[in-house]
Amino acid sequence: MFRYIDCIDAGTEFCPCNLADTGECIICSQLRGKTFCDCLNWKGSCIFQEYYWNHNKSKKVREFAEYVVVDKKYIRDDLIKFDIQVNAHLARQLNSIGSYVFLKNPKSPEFFSTPISIMKSNLKNNQITVVVKIIGVKTKNLGLAGDKILLKGPYWNGIQGQVFLKGLKNSTLFIAARGVAAAPALMVAKKLKLKGNEIIVALDVGRHSENFAKKDFTDLGCKIIDVSMVDYSKYSLKEEFIKIIAELKKKYEFKVILSAGSDEFHELLLNHLYQFDNSLKFATVNNGIITCGEGVCGSCEAKLHNHLIKTCKQQYNPAELFIKPKGEV
Amino acid sequence: MRIIVIGGGWAGCAAALQAKKCGAEVLLIEKTDLLLGLGNVGGIIRNNGRFTAAEEMIALGGGDLFKIADNCARHKNVDFPGHKHATLYDVNRIEPEVRNYLYSKGVNVIFETRVVDVGTEGNRIKSIYLFDGTEIEGDVFVETTGSTGPIGNCLRYGQGCSMCILRCPSYGPRISISMRAGVEDIQGLRGDESFGAMSGSCKLVKETLSEDIQEKLNKDGVVVLPVPKEDINVEKLNMKVCQQYALKEFAENIVLLDTGHAKLMTSYYPLEKLRKIPGLEKAKFVDPYSGGKANSIRYLSMAPRENTMKVCGLDNLFVGGEKSGLFVGHTEAIVTGTLAGYNAVRAGLGLNLVELPITLAVGDIINHENEMKKSIEGLKLRYTFAGANYFERMKKLGLYTTNVEEIRNRVRSLMLEKFFETRII
Ligand SMILES: Cc1cc2nc3c(=O)[nH]c(=O)nc-3n(C[C@H](O)[C@H](O)[C@H](O)COP(=O)(O)OP(=O)(O)OC[C@H]3O[C@@H](n4cnc5c(N)ncnc54)[C@H](O)[C@@H]3O)c2cc1C
Repeated sequence: MFRYIDCIDAGTEFCPCNLADTGECIICSQLRGKTFCDCLNWKGSCIFQEYYWNHNKSKKVREFAEYVVVDKKYIRDDLIKFDIQVNAHLARQLNSIGSYVFLKNPKSPEFFSTPISIMKSNLKNNQITVVVKIIGVKTKNLGLAGDKILLKGPYWNGIQGQVFLKGLKNSTLFIAARGVAAAPALMVAKKLKLKGNEIIVALDVGRHSENFAKKDFTDLGCKIIDVSMVDYSKYSLKEEFIKIIAELKKKYEFKVILSAGSDEFHELLLNHLYQFDNSLKFATVNNGIITCGEGVCGSCEAKLHNHLIKTCKQQYNPAELFIKPKGEV
Repeated sequence: MRIIVIGGGWAGCAAALQAKKCGAEVLLIEKTDLLLGLGNVGGIIRNNGRFTAAEEMIALGGGDLFKIADNCARHKNVDFPGHKHATLYDVNRIEPEVRNYLYSKGVNVIFETRVVDVGTEGNRIKSIYLFDGTEIEGDVFVETTGSTGPIGNCLRYGQGCSMCILRCPSYGPRISISMRAGVEDIQGLRGDESFGAMSGSCKLVKETLSEDIQEKLNKDGVVVLPVPKEDINVEKLNMKVCQQYALKEFAENIVLLDTGHAKLMTSYYPLEKLRKIPGLEKAKFVDPYSGGKANSIRYLSMAPRENTMKVCGLDNLFVGGEKSGLFVGHTEAIVTGTLAGYNAVRAGLGLNLVELPITLAVGDIINHENEMKKSIEGLKLRYTFAGANYFERMKKLGLYTTNVEEIRNRVRSLMLEKFFETRII
């Protein structure tokens, strides 16, 4: 049976990684304890060969480095926007769909580091923009950081289903974004605009009057609809949102959707849309509990068809994870 | 009825063509932009017992591809060490000829499309999946993906990717379809019981050789040049796939054959050393590009099969060419591929499957290889009409002859004349 398998790091300067050293490579059978080739997804380079030529060792791992916080602004009492000065190489590497970094207050120990999606990466001044929502120990601690911050990256698996986004040209993308998940969605919108796509963004007004990223989406030339999406009493999609989706679907005939919200929201939205059209393709913001980003610690693992997926670096097809056949919960 | 053939080497072309001749709808899927696979870098046919096999196939009505190869010949009736009456087809001319012929017969071909998985239902394959997840359903499947590579195997069992005609870095690796369907592969062994075998020849750009050599190649088809004493490496012969060329003469001499390029009958020869030989001072490799250092590794992925070419344990998967055994050669690929394509159609119709009679070389080799493969010693051998153990066997059994009339009579007496020409749908 065909398995959609992809490792976001395959073929990059970080491949082969620690997983190859331990015989756990996601793609290469030879680096998974077998002695013959049976690679699961060819990305244009042979990971086994890379490993061999690197003296049977994995490549360098990403390490923390200190960068300057150029601007830190509270957008809301629990939302902080950071502009961070990085170097040109990193800015370029982070200027892509799904990119994220680990951030840490320089005063805190290693285990305080937390993964944060890149909202913008400005190649003119090499500044990146991220938005942090204060929800717990790590993010609170990050909020206390002064003008210096520790950053480790680049990582790229902040969006699942990237294959559907990267292939989209002169077409239409529908984004449904809620809260802080609008940040990685903005990067997607920017990239897909460059490929001549029309982008329709439904932004959840949530508990506030409007989403923090609304102006940025507007500046990119996206079509914005403010809407309240979720009925919290039943945890279902609100009638008004369902109606808007139906109208937009009819008007724009989009085939690809980015769901930018929590996993519960992905499940509601994907199942709802799938009922009407099972040919739709979905991408989702990655909400895995990412701790190491290297496929090692296991905190982000999800189970799919009896296989464990290391969601910090492995891609899956969101439809396979979130769409539940009727009757199954 | 839809037959899907995976891999467009000589075996796949033969299977697709035969299934079409039998009346099926045929889809041939090839990962690169060329048909013929290794056939684009070979060229030697009709040498030794291959002559008999080609004529048997022609008499059986399955000779279309041999006729095309004959028409593309640069040289006929060439002798070189250990080999007689070879035809050398032009590797630069033959691919479009075969492609157009398949099109003219109505075979559908898709290029630059790699098959990566199968969907199964019990012992049947229901569909195949392409690299991008597209599912294609079929009734019967023929796997002719060869046995070469991919890079990881060429590295683990050889000297790394040598950039051969299959171009894995661009088009992706071969995978074993039969294994994806749950049937374990068989691996060939070398003399020292390590796995696989190294491809046995390279191609030099003819224009980089001295004018004398070019002239002689164009005229006679063959040039033999002595190797400087200090560079003779008899050891290397043991690594070769092509045991028919594992002769002392091939270590002590450089044998060049004109197949459009200059085919160098040795597995890898450092350019520096090669250029010490008079006339080769400016020589350059054209396939594999790193021919001075490495060569592709083969025979790591054979499916267990019956003598009808059906894969053991699966109801509707057939194999041909190197995928089906330790066969070396275009002729061997065409013979096994043709039978695989023929029986694929019979399987689709629910008819009993046929074997080729062992009183013909083409039937005997299929039976013999299957028998021999059961032992470790047998896994170390290769099977070709052109030489080594199997050619000896042909001679011993009286199967080898170059008398075309006699071959026709043998086929006629079996009442198998034009056997492969009959439509069965
Ligand atoms: C350098 C060299 C020179 C040779 N010279 C001669 C010679 O002169 N005379 C001779 O008789 N024999 C020669 N041989 C041997 C002969 O070429 C082979 O034994 C024979 O051609 C094998 O044919 P095949 O169809 O089984 O496999 P291949 O030719 O390997 O064909 C397999 C095909 O399948 C395709 N494929 C693989 N995986 C997939 C996939 N997943 N999806 C889609 N397509 C796929 C490949 O791209 C390829 O086109 C030579 C071999 C080499 C390497």
